[in-house]
Amino acid sequence: MIEIKHLSKSYEGKPVLDNVSLTVKRASILGLLGPNGAGKTTLLSILAGVTAKDAGEVKVGGLDLGREPGRIQRMCSYVPQSLAFYPRLSARENLEYFGSLWGLRGAKLRERTAFSIDVGSMAAFADKRVDTFSGGMKRRLNLAIGLMNEPEILYLDEPTVGVDTQSRNYILATIAQLNRERKTTVVYTSHYLDEIEQVSDEIAVIDAGRIVLHDAKEAVLLRADAVLLRVAKLGKDAAAALERHQGIRVEAGSVHVKRDERFGENMAAAFTVLSEHGIGVTDIVFGRRTLEELFLKLTDVRLRDGE
Amino acid sequence: MAAMSKLLYTLKKEFLLITRDVHAVAVLFVMPAVFIMIMSLAMRDLFDSHGGVTIDVLTVNRDGGKDAETFLKAIGGLPAFRFRAFERDAAPERLRERMLAEDTKFALIVREGFSAAVEAAPGGKGEAPLELLVNPAVTVQTQMVLRGALEAKLAMLRRDAFVARLGDILVAAGIDGESLRKDGGSPVAVTYATRGGGSVKVPSAVQQSVPAWLVFSMFFIVIPLSNTFISERAQGTLMRLKSMNVSRVALIAGKMVPYLLINGVQVLIMIAIGVWVVPLFGGTALTPGRSPAGLALIAAAVSFSAIALALFIASLARTSEQATTIGGVLNIIFGALGGIMVPTFVMPRFMQELANLSPMAWGLQGFLDIFLRDGGAADCLPESLALGLFGTVMLALTAVILRRQREG
Repeated sequence: MIEIKHLSKSYEGKPVLDNVSLTVKRASILGLLGPNGAGKTTLLSILAGVTAKDAGEVKVGGLDLGREPGRIQRMCSYVPQSLAFYPRLSARENLEYFGSLWGLRGAKLRERTAFSIDVGSMAAFADKRVDTFSGGMKRRLNLAIGLMNEPEILYLDEPTVGVDTQSRNYILATIAQLNRERKTTVVYTSHYLDEIEQVSDEIAVIDAGRIVLHDAKEAVLLRADAVLLRVAKLGKDAAAALERHQGIRVEAGSVHVKRDERFGENMAAAFTVLSEHGIGVTDIVFGRRTLEELFLKLTDVRLRDGE
Repeated sequence: MAAMSKLLYTLKKEFLLITRDVHAVAVLFVMPAVFIMIMSLAMRDLFDSHGGVTIDVLTVNRDGGKDAETFLKAIGGLPAFRFRAFERDAAPERLRERMLAEDTKFALIVREGFSAAVEAAPGGKGEAPLELLVNPAVTVQTQMVLRGALEAKLAMLRRDAFVARLGDILVAAGIDGESLRKDGGSPVAVTYATRGGGSVKVPSAVQQSVPAWLVFSMFFIVIPLSNTFISERAQGTLMRLKSMNVSRVALIAGKMVPYLLINGVQVLIMIAIGVWVVPLFGGTALTPGRSPAGLALIAAAVSFSAIALALFIASLARTSEQATTIGGVLNIIFGALGGIMVPTFVMPRFMQELANLSPMAWGLQGFLDIFLRDGGAADCLPESLALGLFGTVMLALTAVILRRQREG
């Protein structure tokens, strides 16, 4: 559905996206993770046709973004991280206004407005001014506006920032439902890794403008769920011998054994290889390595500011 | 149809945003209405030749003669001044103290020997028969008005005395002395120069105030418009609109059309206040001129340039506070320079030339063409074109800035 090839973007000479390549399958949900300043919002704003790219190619539904931005924009909807509506208007007035800009009018506009009010669970306060809404209600409206044009692709930039648990769960359930029932393709950025884990089919991690990981969610979580064997020194031959076994991975001088159905077999194989090469195990770390730990490992643990 | 629907919903959105913003309503409608009321009533007597007496003058008659009495009676009929007799023997210090205590603007002393001076042959030299004490707060123009009136009355008194002295000579010459003493009124006929040469009402305070404060308030659209625009940018609404394939032209037009209508509503309300509300408080009713087309043209031109300036400021400013400050200060400078607060005709020459730099001055002159000079669309066309050019330049700069921001 979305093909990104060698995409680059700089601000004042500072690269924000550096040779990014990424593919998003039709009717999938891609969770895009990254620390502050990694380039998530810039990537989404380029996909939404808001920001111009410097180099690279973006195709959406087979259409070239550079050549047919209008057609692509009509099939997409971008929900910015900020609450992008008019606080002095009511929810219904906001929905009708944005719907009219999509070319909706008359019965169709009323129907889409009613649908969005329903999806956002806003019927009770649809005619109240938005500046009287709670944070969760505003977030739901922000999302609901993005649904007015029945988008095939939904770009969501941190859609649950600052909301209560109920609204957060509601928003996540709505996204999953849209994907399941309407086959909406979703690109979703968030700081909350559990959200990404909850709704995504695929996960991509972006750091310093580069995609450092992109895989199916299960594959990513499999990488995260392992037993770690810490060893004194691992030679190349031993590493190669270990990685010949499916489920054993060498990372940063340690041996990771996946906790799957072949876990016992793999553990035995790992110890055998290490023994054959005369390598002693100094420590064994059991337990699930969370997505957050993986994320921190991939993107470094230092503080990031900027985005 | 879809385009019309978009326009209608955009209009509805902008009107709702304005009407639900107390500050915007105050700036766009309440402020100019109050200014028009205050200035029309405060300046009523300055423009209205039939206005009530407002400037007090204390009089001290040290002469006490018949001519002095006649003189004081004559000046008592002067419009715009009220003469009040003070103690004949009051010392100069006491007179000054009284003036300052009451904030009286003038004190007129009819000196001893006044009657003798009147009766004396013309051209005689000696002490001036009248002395005028002037409050330092009085403008030179007002002082000149009173001095001129006093000198004219004194001259008439001398003429009458001279005719009386000629007496028998005039009879012998067959000249009617009484006819010489008759006051034939002012020798100067005043006609107001209008575009069409037709009759027009005497310019009044409301004729000056309505166009001036109307132009001022139309330019104040910069405050709500730039605030809305900057809020849209800060809240990401502008980004959302761009992602919806809303072009820059549509974005700009989406602001221009609603605010053109809002400016139109301002024009109608301010004219209605001039025509119907000001008279209720004792002011003169506004005469809106004879050319609705001319009025529409100059109003549209002022509105276009004001909105374009607002969009330019909004595209430059990063925060609403910046836009409000820049827009507010710029408006006040344009207003002060352009003859809104002080009419340009009282400004010195170089200031009058500087006033031509202010788009508010062009707008004001255009409205005065319609309201005061009885002009039509052709008469306010030069000002309208200048405003249109100014607005076009502002819009072009706005488009360039918006494009740079998008590409950035």
